[in-house]
Amino acid sequence: MAVTIRRLEEFDEVENFDCGDEPLNNYLKRHAWTNQEKVSIGVTYAAVDESAPRTVLGYFTLATSSVPRDRFPQKYVRGLPPYDLPLILLARLAVDKRFSGRGLGHAMIAEALKITLRVADEVGCRCIITDAYPDKAGWYARYGFLPLEGASATGPQKMFLDVRTIRRASSIDSFLPERA
Amino acid sequence: MPRAVKEKSKKAATLPAKTPTPRKTKFQADLAPSEDSMVRVLKAELQMTSNTDFLSDALALFRWAVSERKRGHRIVSESSTGERKILLFPRLERVAPEVTLPHVDVQWTDKELESLAELASGQPAEPTNALIRAMRK
Repeated sequence: MAVTIRRLEEFDEVENFDCGDEPLNNYLKRHAWTNQEKVSIGVTYAAVDESAPRTVLGYFTLATSSVPRDRFPQKYVRGLPPYDLPLILLARLAVDKRFSGRGLGHAMIAEALKITLRVADEVGCRCIITDAYPDKAGWYARYGFLPLEGASATGPQKMFLDVRTIRRASSIDSFLPERA
Repeated sequence: MPRAVKEKSKKAATLPAKTPTPRKTKFQADLAPSEDSMVRVLKAELQMTSNTDFLSDALALFRWAVSERKRGHRIVSESSTGERKILLFPRLERVAPEVTLPHVDVQWTDKELESLAELASGQPAEPTNALIRAMRK
């Protein structure tokens, strides 16, 4: 399996995509293309195999956001730059369940983090945020995402990863084995 | 001043002021011949004679569809055998709540903002092994 990750294209085959989660399936089938090309509020990246380059096996969506500085509690404002805090939102990440367990999730999060670093280098952003399903929070934690306090008991868990941590990781000349 | 006119103005002065009726807006549309024919067929099927009634009913139906989609409800037709079809109408999808999901305005609770500020203003965490592997060139 030779996987490529690239921007979603208009004629990609998404109708048979099934990650087992209806809102995530629905987003890819009905909204991802519109949101990317027409209203420009998020860009979706598709994982495809070279043997069937139109069939989407997994996807993630990125958008930018920011938090107004005056919304932060006063006691932390000093430690922050005197501007709104720019961030990347990892809005969706899903793998078709027929292709799970083949490292697609890892390949996609790696690509999302590399894009985040490029954005940080080119236009500036301070962190990447995601809304993780509670049962997936552990998976994001493996990549260093830290849970934010204050999530509702049943709702998604907001998670944070500092761009400085990502940059440090990219600068480490590691000899780690492929699998921990 | 002639008597008749004088009396008329006196009468007008004693009448209570009328509430002005809202002006009706004229609606004119350029229809392609096929659309015009479609309107005629529909009017005949629905036993309507006036364009005003036709537009009024169409508007009511469209308004209902928009309000349903705004609430996240889907519009489904079901045949007698139970076969279902979901209406996918691009303009309606613009008001559907799912469209706003990846919006750049993230909803934060005060506690989440406090937690974010604490993490963003502190020293960055050391990268995990999985992150180092992910960032390999």
